[in-house]
Amino acid sequence: MSPYDAILNDLQTLGEMPLRRWRERFPGFRPLGFMNAYLPEELFHAAGFTPVLLLHRREDRGQAKAHLPGFTCWVARSALDQALAGELEGLAGVAFAQSCDAVQALADLWPRAVPQLPAFYVAMPHHLAAPAARSYLLAELQRLRWRLEEMTGQAIGDEALQASIALYNRTRALLGRLHELADRLPPPALHAARQAAFLMPKELYYPLLAQLLEQLPPSGTGSPRLVVVGSELADPSLYQVIAEAGGRVVGDLLDLGQRHFALPVDETGDPLQALADHALALLPTPTKYHPQRRRDAHLLETVRTRQADGVIFARQKFCEPHGFDYVMLKAALDRAGVPHLLIELEQTPHVGQMRTRIEAFLEMIGA
Amino acid sequence: MPTYPRLQSLKTINRAMEQYYVKRKLMARLKPVAYVTSGAPVEMLEAMGVLTLYPENYGALCGARREAVGLCEVAEVAGYSQDLCSYARGHIGAVLQPAHAPLNGLPKPDLLLCCNNICGTVLKWYEALADHYDVPLFVLDVPFQHGPQPQPHAVQYVVAQLEALIAWTEEVTRRRWQPKKFRQVLALSNETLRLWQEIRDLGRHRPSPINAPDLFVAMAPIVALRGTRQAVEVYRELKAELERRVADGVGAVPGERHRLLWDNIAIWYQLYRFFRPFMDAGACFVTDSYTNAWAAAEPVDLDDPLPSMARTLLAVYINLDLPSRARIVADLARRFEVDGMVMHANWSCKPFSLTQSDLQAAVREEVGVPALVLEADMCDSRRYNEGAVRERIAAFLEMLGSVDGSLL
Repeated sequence: MSPYDAILNDLQTLGEMPLRRWRERFPGFRPLGFMNAYLPEELFHAAGFTPVLLLHRREDRGQAKAHLPGFTCWVARSALDQALAGELEGLAGVAFAQSCDAVQALADLWPRAVPQLPAFYVAMPHHLAAPAARSYLLAELQRLRWRLEEMTGQAIGDEALQASIALYNRTRALLGRLHELADRLPPPALHAARQAAFLMPKELYYPLLAQLLEQLPPSGTGSPRLVVVGSELADPSLYQVIAEAGGRVVGDLLDLGQRHFALPVDETGDPLQALADHALALLPTPTKYHPQRRRDAHLLETVRTRQADGVIFARQKFCEPHGFDYVMLKAALDRAGVPHLLIELEQTPHVGQMRTRIEAFLEMIGA
Repeated sequence: MPTYPRLQSLKTINRAMEQYYVKRKLMARLKPVAYVTSGAPVEMLEAMGVLTLYPENYGALCGARREAVGLCEVAEVAGYSQDLCSYARGHIGAVLQPAHAPLNGLPKPDLLLCCNNICGTVLKWYEALADHYDVPLFVLDVPFQHGPQPQPHAVQYVVAQLEALIAWTEEVTRRRWQPKKFRQVLALSNETLRLWQEIRDLGRHRPSPINAPDLFVAMAPIVALRGTRQAVEVYRELKAELERRVADGVGAVPGERHRLLWDNIAIWYQLYRFFRPFMDAGACFVTDSYTNAWAAAEPVDLDDPLPSMARTLLAVYINLDLPSRARIVADLARRFEVDGMVMHANWSCKPFSLTQSDLQAAVREEVGVPALVLEADMCDSRRYNEGAVRERIAAFLEMLGSVDGSLL
């Protein structure tokens, strides 16, 4: 096995590893589960935790049913199902940032449903350019800092926070590079390499990613070049199917994809202010609003700069923000003559159906 | 089949709402038209002579007229998933094909005011409207409230936006801010609120003079006509009629045997029909969490309106955390002496529905009343399985009958 394959193999297994085995795999680190794209991970890191993304799983142990109705997105239901089934034992807690109504509801019922796992709720403005959004967010981050200090009994100094920011920035830069070179990786490898960023300590992740980037195979050509849009893709099957159908993923507009790593946090000045500014500066996910930073313009720009042949929407069933976002993005793609395909994701991926549709789509775009 | 006494003042309210829509159609060319969400500070626009319209109320109207499904389908063809809010789908369908919509759709807006203290859906809905009509949009961002009291920094955040909203409205409507008029509107709004609270409180009488479907009809002015003289007048009339019923011992459901609480938005296409088997069994919905959402507010302080408005916007029922909402519902259950709850698990409304099981459990721990949870949708009748619903209602009523309301 080449070092490249060995690293990839290592990263790929992480997505399937149950979280209860996490501490065994990464001794010396304190995992804390989190959901969605707006969590100030550096603050948790500076408090001594490793934020680990709660991925939804294919299995349903039937535990969430007593709390969330069937018309709740699987991302939220699966997190609760895992928690109630004891799969999250060993986590120091879970943290939610204000995003969609489903995550808000999950965070709201969590202390009642899963009292043994302390929950953090971080408010985050929905209007990223609202007057006073910055001072409001800053006050929220300060409150979170105090709560973390209270929990651990240790002050979070500016220097510690700056060190965490530097570590996360290093990862961001490498992930930026990974996304630039996306067409040189088979889609499942790209998926695994990015997903691992959310699952393992950054201290261990960035050297691996740096090595991986040095050993990428030369650029693949001739395949249809695709951009994937959606929230978060815990399940790798879409990327596997794209690969099998001969496609390449050259860009994305995933909540936890390229946009998430696009900008560094300012390393000079007050670190808490830098975190607030960073959160407000990123391209909004569909749960947020910014009158000037439009997602449709950004998607068209991604398609153009990445020379993509088509767009695949990977929309989670019952996801309201992405449900509306899809219509707006679709209209922009139609105006620009960019072909697109909608794949709806449920609890278990319908791989056969997905394959048929993606093969037909790739054939249609004729690349 | 038994017949039930009708409230005459509901006709007045329906007429007022008809006039409301007609007036807006006629005046739309003379005055700026704003679309607003149901939790927005409409008083500010009212004070500046802006005509306000509520796409949510219009969505409910499409549902009640049983025209929502056709309009939802128009939106679905345009790409909106069937899993999205049926108010939004219905209204967007009407925007796309007004000729096929009730009232031929709403007059076109000149400005949009979206306040997200009721859900995240409105943000996406209004963004779509801003694109479609190419008109300015103001997003009033009201953070979800954890804990019983608004956080000072959240109040400051909302106040800063309310100040910006005044400046923005002046700019886009080319109208001057009218502090005096604002004060008058707020005074009327406070009075409307007080009347609405008193009207709802009359449901505490045995028998209750009012039933939930009456409340669903009667709520339109507290949402859409808040801050107007007309709202005060129609509510005075309704209150007087209810007081006469109380004095005469007339109940909305004659021979009232069970007192129930309704949770979640109404099932608009089944407004009275749904409640019929309950009424036939002597069960009256004496209170509900939905129309209570407009009664729970504190009056706005006329001498320092913005901070107190901000606190009101933050403390909207559906913007509160689960312990706070459970406290409110348990308090309703106690004050109205209810024997049971019926909870509408509403596909369209995530904030109301996703935490409903835990809300039910928390309320039951406090007041120990049985609950029936029914899955349906507020406007999309394709989600309504009448046979299954009827069966479950019958079983619930039988259970209530066997304990004969003696649980409390």
